[in-house]
Amino acid sequence: MTILGKERKEDWEVVYEGATGLIDLYEEDPESKGMNSILIGFRNFIDDIFAAIDEGKPFVWHNCGCSPELIKGLDGVQTMPIEVLTVLQDLVGEVDFTVALIDEAESHGVAPEVCSIDKAAVGAVLKDLYPEPACMLYHNTPCDSQIAAIKSLTEMMKKPMRLMDVPYLSTDREVKYLAKQLQEGIPFLEEHTGLKFDWDKFREVREESNRTAEYLRDWNELRRHRPCPQVSKIVALNTALLVAFSGEPEGTKIAKGFRDEAKERIERGESAVEGGEEYRAIWYQDPVWWDLQFYDWMESELKLVIPMDLFGYYAPEALIDTSTPQSMLEGLARKNLKVLPMSRQFKGPIDYYIDDYLRMCADYEADFAIFAGHVACKHGLGGIGLFREASREAGIPLLYFEFDMFDPRVTSAEAIQEEITHFIEDIVAPVKETV
Amino acid sequence: MGKNEILDTLREVIERPRNAYLDRWRGNGGKVMGYYCSYIPEEVFTAAGFLPYRLRGAGSKDSSDGDAYMSSRICTFVRHTVSLALRNELDFLDGVVLMQNCDHIRRAADIFAKKVKVPFNSFLSVPRAPQERLFQWYLDEVRRLKSEIESFFGLTVTNADLEKAIELHNATRERIARLYELRKRDRPPITGEEALGVTIAAHLMPKGEFNNLIDDLLIDLDGKSGNDTYRARIIVTGSEMDDPEYIASIEKQGALSVAEIACFGQRSFGDLIPAGDGDSLERIARHKFFQIPCARMVECFDEQVEMLKNTVRDFNAHAIIFQRIKFCDPWAGDGHSLYWRMKQEGIPFLSLEREYKVPAAGQVGTRVQAFLEQMGK
Ligand code: SF4
Ligand code: SF4
Repeated sequence: MTILGKERKEDWEVVYEGATGLIDLYEEDPESKGMNSILIGFRNFIDDIFAAIDEGKPFVWHNCGCSPELIKGLDGVQTMPIEVLTVLQDLVGEVDFTVALIDEAESHGVAPEVCSIDKAAVGAVLKDLYPEPACMLYHNTPCDSQIAAIKSLTEMMKKPMRLMDVPYLSTDREVKYLAKQLQEGIPFLEEHTGLKFDWDKFREVREESNRTAEYLRDWNELRRHRPCPQVSKIVALNTALLVAFSGEPEGTKIAKGFRDEAKERIERGESAVEGGEEYRAIWYQDPVWWDLQFYDWMESELKLVIPMDLFGYYAPEALIDTSTPQSMLEGLARKNLKVLPMSRQFKGPIDYYIDDYLRMCADYEADFAIFAGHVACKHGLGGIGLFREASREAGIPLLYFEFDMFDPRVTSAEAIQEEITHFIEDIVAPVKETV
Repeated sequence: MGKNEILDTLREVIERPRNAYLDRWRGNGGKVMGYYCSYIPEEVFTAAGFLPYRLRGAGSKDSSDGDAYMSSRICTFVRHTVSLALRNELDFLDGVVLMQNCDHIRRAADIFAKKVKVPFNSFLSVPRAPQERLFQWYLDEVRRLKSEIESFFGLTVTNADLEKAIELHNATRERIARLYELRKRDRPPITGEEALGVTIAAHLMPKGEFNNLIDDLLIDLDGKSGNDTYRARIIVTGSEMDDPEYIASIEKQGALSVAEIACFGQRSFGDLIPAGDGDSLERIARHKFFQIPCARMVECFDEQVEMLKNTVRDFNAHAIIFQRIKFCDPWAGDGHSLYWRMKQEGIPFLSLEREYKVPAAGQVGTRVQAFLEQMGK
């Protein structure tokens, strides 16, 4: 399959074809509105990338800890999250391609303990799959693994790089500190892209983000409904939406797709779980990206739904005052510190991390929680003891296991399925029966 | 005292969490402030009358207490230090000042705050790029730390106190620099194992007493001829390194470590804090913030490489041995890039993975042997 009429590298053609196949399959299906909206969004995103290559537009790379609206304030720029190819490969079920990228990075000397998505990004660069950046803008969140990847990528690309230092806490002082850095980052972006930063364009971008935020807020609310109206696997995609599409009409379309599907299904009295949900769990830490069908299995076999997870949770601080340049910069800083999933929970003290968890469990009336410990998330795994204690105190049964969210070779789907099944049988079901 | 006696004394200092100097300090009513990282301005503790004590896991037999709170994918250095703290073996600490040097220590800080409950607990948010544009934030953090210490302990840290602390710490730096100068000789009068024992001890005992011991050591070493039976001279770098036995296992193969550019080694000291009229606290902060950057820092890789190249040149070294504690992410990134950069530079580079406090003689022996042979040594 070609993209925009030209042959491209196999990794890209495969995801493009995969997305197109899934879109065709589900196009008429009202049950798949949300899923379809993100697939269409990503296919358009690939079109944008290749159009930009063909037109010679400057690319700015960023990482998943960076909400890219500042970059989008440059008219004529193309943004590129370093994780995008891997997310797409897994979304369309082409996990073998991700695994090949991971192996590529490891055989080049990247340590196995670095996050698989970061290794895959290094692998993609080694395989020359990403268009060269004019420059790179990275945020030092959500973790050290990202720092490792950022340093490796900078060294490999030898392109100008600027770090936005995201500090430990998230109070107004930190918001101002980050906003100042964002402002100071503008001349850097202008210098290396050769484009002018346009405050009106930035305002448009921020206003679009607000529209997206409103849909996502409603969507988060609708997913509290009992029974949960919409499938579990869609929740985690929120993070991919925010990292790739923040500030774009496509992002709003996807968020609307998520919202509309949930709303319509509630109106029709439908449940995510055929035959009725029996269990609700908060999925904390990272999703099983390499097998989104995994969530279908939970619904059909266990009657278990995930109304919310850490990647889907959209914090209420998202809306931004667009009245002045300063308010927009501070709003964007606040979004990076307090809204973007992972950065919000992972960068600061453990309380940030646990408080969201407890809030989600309460708001979404979870029967239990699943801590899916992605092996690279040392900030999560390093807090597991305190996390367990908090869970116990709150009376929330907690299942903990370790796996790799982009590499199925670490823990198999069967092993995870067994863990969840036994936990429900041995712990959750008996409690539920007593109640 | 001669070399052997002094080294034996320092060996005792570093063997367990407590040491005789620390106990004496406390016996005289002195207070102790714990910290993990080179970006914490220990001069401020000295100026406030504290003994700065760098946290490590020596003396921890197992990490089970830490394991109860942290996954086995957390670096063993951190799990051991946390275990010591949870077992009350660090109960001599009057306070700790921690920071987000890495994700592992960030979580250790949570455990210190919630479970260990040291009387004074502070946290610095240290920027991750040693750039002028971020310095003011760091300086503000250091100022905040100073006032927190003042108000918690009811004391005042004056400019004169800070200047005295700078002088004392500079005196240590100057002695470490002289020790390292001696290691540049063709026949270094001290091994890497021994020298690391010295630099570790500097982090755990009163600086004044340390300085006096080192004065004697330097006199003794200066007159000694040292050994030239080694097969190659190497620089050890990478993750924190507070385990002389590990260096010994490298040196047993004939690779003499002539500089340990790692935390607890030379990297923790750096150049002198320059004298000057400027604000003392700012001078301390500037020294810390713009020290030879470690792997947690971004936008500074060229400086890190330059420094290593210069060290190889100045110490007439043949190669670099890079060691990394398993699961350490910051050094994973640097390890990858350093490998390729050193290849370009034509500097032989061996990368080793280790666990904290696990004797590694077998594995290290085989790897180092093969490395030396490859180099034709
Ligand atoms: S998943 Fe965890 S380890 Fe990977 S990039 Fe995100 S925060 Fe870092
Ligand atoms: S060795 Fe690495 S992981 Fe361990 S404390 Fe140091 S920087 Fe953190």
